[in-house]
Amino acid sequence: MKHSFCTPILSLLMFTFTLAFVSCVEEEEYDNSKQGNFEALWKMMDEHYCFFDYKQQELGVNWDEVHSRYAAKVNENMNDNQLFEVLCNMLAELKDGHVNLSASFDYGRNWSFYEDYPQNYNDSIAKLYLGHDYQIASGLKYVILDDNVGYVRCETFEKGIGDGNVSMMLHNLAMCQGLIVDVRGNGGGQLTKAHTLASHFTNEKLHVGYVSHKTGRGRADFSYPKAEYIEPAVDGVRWQKPVVVLTNRAVFSAANDFVKCMKQCPQVIVMGDTTGGGSGMPFNSELPNGWQVRYSAVVYYDSEMKHTEFGVAPDIVVEMSGADIAAEKDTYIEKARELLKNPAVYGIE
Amino acid sequence: MCKGLTVALLLLSSLCAYGQPFSVEKNKEVLHSSMAGIGSANVLDTYLSPYNYTGTDIRVQRETMRMTNLWNGNVNHQSMMDINVSFNKNRPGNMDEFVGGIRYSHGWFYNFASGNVVNPVERSTSRWNFAAGLAATAYLGGIYIDRGGNNPAQAKAEACVDASGMATYDMRMGKHHFLWRYQLSVPLLGIAFSPRYGQSYYEAFGMGHYDRNVVFAHVGNMPSMRHRITLDIPVKHYVLRVGYVGQFSQSTFNQLKYHSYTHDFMVGFTKYFYRR
Repeated sequence: MKHSFCTPILSLLMFTFTLAFVSCVEEEEYDNSKQGNFEALWKMMDEHYCFFDYKQQELGVNWDEVHSRYAAKVNENMNDNQLFEVLCNMLAELKDGHVNLSASFDYGRNWSFYEDYPQNYNDSIAKLYLGHDYQIASGLKYVILDDNVGYVRCETFEKGIGDGNVSMMLHNLAMCQGLIVDVRGNGGGQLTKAHTLASHFTNEKLHVGYVSHKTGRGRADFSYPKAEYIEPAVDGVRWQKPVVVLTNRAVFSAANDFVKCMKQCPQVIVMGDTTGGGSGMPFNSELPNGWQVRYSAVVYYDSEMKHTEFGVAPDIVVEMSGADIAAEKDTYIEKARELLKNPAVYGIE
Repeated sequence: MCKGLTVALLLLSSLCAYGQPFSVEKNKEVLHSSMAGIGSANVLDTYLSPYNYTGTDIRVQRETMRMTNLWNGNVNHQSMMDINVSFNKNRPGNMDEFVGGIRYSHGWFYNFASGNVVNPVERSTSRWNFAAGLAATAYLGGIYIDRGGNNPAQAKAEACVDASGMATYDMRMGKHHFLWRYQLSVPLLGIAFSPRYGQSYYEAFGMGHYDRNVVFAHVGNMPSMRHRITLDIPVKHYVLRVGYVGQFSQSTFNQLKYHSYTHDFMVGFTKYFYRR
């Protein structure tokens, strides 16, 4: 009885122990050489970046061809600055503001999503509308303009915007006939904060998009897209009057997603220029030499399963006029005020 | 690790060779031991980085063992709490990583020798004593790299059944007994948490988009083991315990690779109680 009991246990121990030792879990490591760092970066992007198919379709980027072209530019006689430049140029092929290489001496980026376009925002002029007596609810600056229109300036989603902040702000603006939410130049931040703000502009659960992540190293390994919703804010104030959201090309990442969500709200008009995009949630990693890498890892689609990586188009296109700038007028804000005087023309109740 | 394999295989082989008729004597000794130690860590988690982070590991262990009435009194119970934290850096030394976890296990071991492994000095006629059994183990921990972003941390959670074996050797020097203990534990099967390859935690926990985040763990995708070698040294009315703890945790879930190799040199105390 004793031996019949111990034999299977001992056999099991021997088997599992042997199996455990013969299978070490390791990842291929590259040398901290110029070539090693180049190969490490190319492979990291190859296995983790989420927009290869889309970038090939829109920009003709072939990542294998990119490897051939840039590998020829790397040699061990380069200095760090030269290597950094080659690696950044390789990453710039993707035209993705979420793709960055960071070293102690530089920050590699491709900001063509807004640098190649009109700014459509003048900070000095916008400040004239805020004046000096504006209020600040966490990151949200707001004021009531002369024509009883509420103006909210949201420069970033990096600050801790909460339901309480938004509710108190909307409560203070409750007497206004309409609201302008100006997100021009908002480069993003926390997606949860963008959704928190958007949740105060709907009374119903809104289907705003789909989300899909990579499930493996293959370029086509993606999860089945799952629906993304905005739930109406449960506690606090929900805005019921017309809203105009002002956008330009510098609206990026979480702010891009905010605009995407706001477009689904019934009483909202998006006015201005196409947003800058940046619909991939970025992840971080590193190279053998310690340089930090950021890349888009999770795809956020709109409600029709279309990419917003290159931006969300406005309902009404507006450009800053030179005459208005000379007169210290913000064309966007003036157009929005006009719209809010007669929103029914634009189909807003 | 290969040297460790050889040594452990020899020990396990000897486990069979030294099996002796067990005693039906029931006893009520309870052993408590507490140890703290310091050593080295080598951690890889490809969800966070494709490179190994290395540094210093700090560990605390608390163990309780007692004989039970099961199987004619030849089964002992062991509960073990193991807490470790490690502070690591990447190869260039420009990024910091913090790792921490707590493991708790309950195991039941069949004693093969005439005495027992709880108090072999008092209860065994043989210098060698052996036991083997199964343990239910739960682990909760995490890894954090100080760089921000959407993937700065990785949670670790496991619930497994381990196969485990232990051996004791009573080394007598004059009237003193120096007791060596060795224990090996290998996770057999269980469940574990893991994000998918490129899944963000915001998707899983913020949006409720779970995607095979609870995986079946077995020795094939989680080939891990834990070693513990200790020496009990009687010092006046106390028993000083010194030892080595080597933990080799590995997994490949959802194409994400993970390993944590730690080596800690431990020191603490052992105390025997009599259970009424």
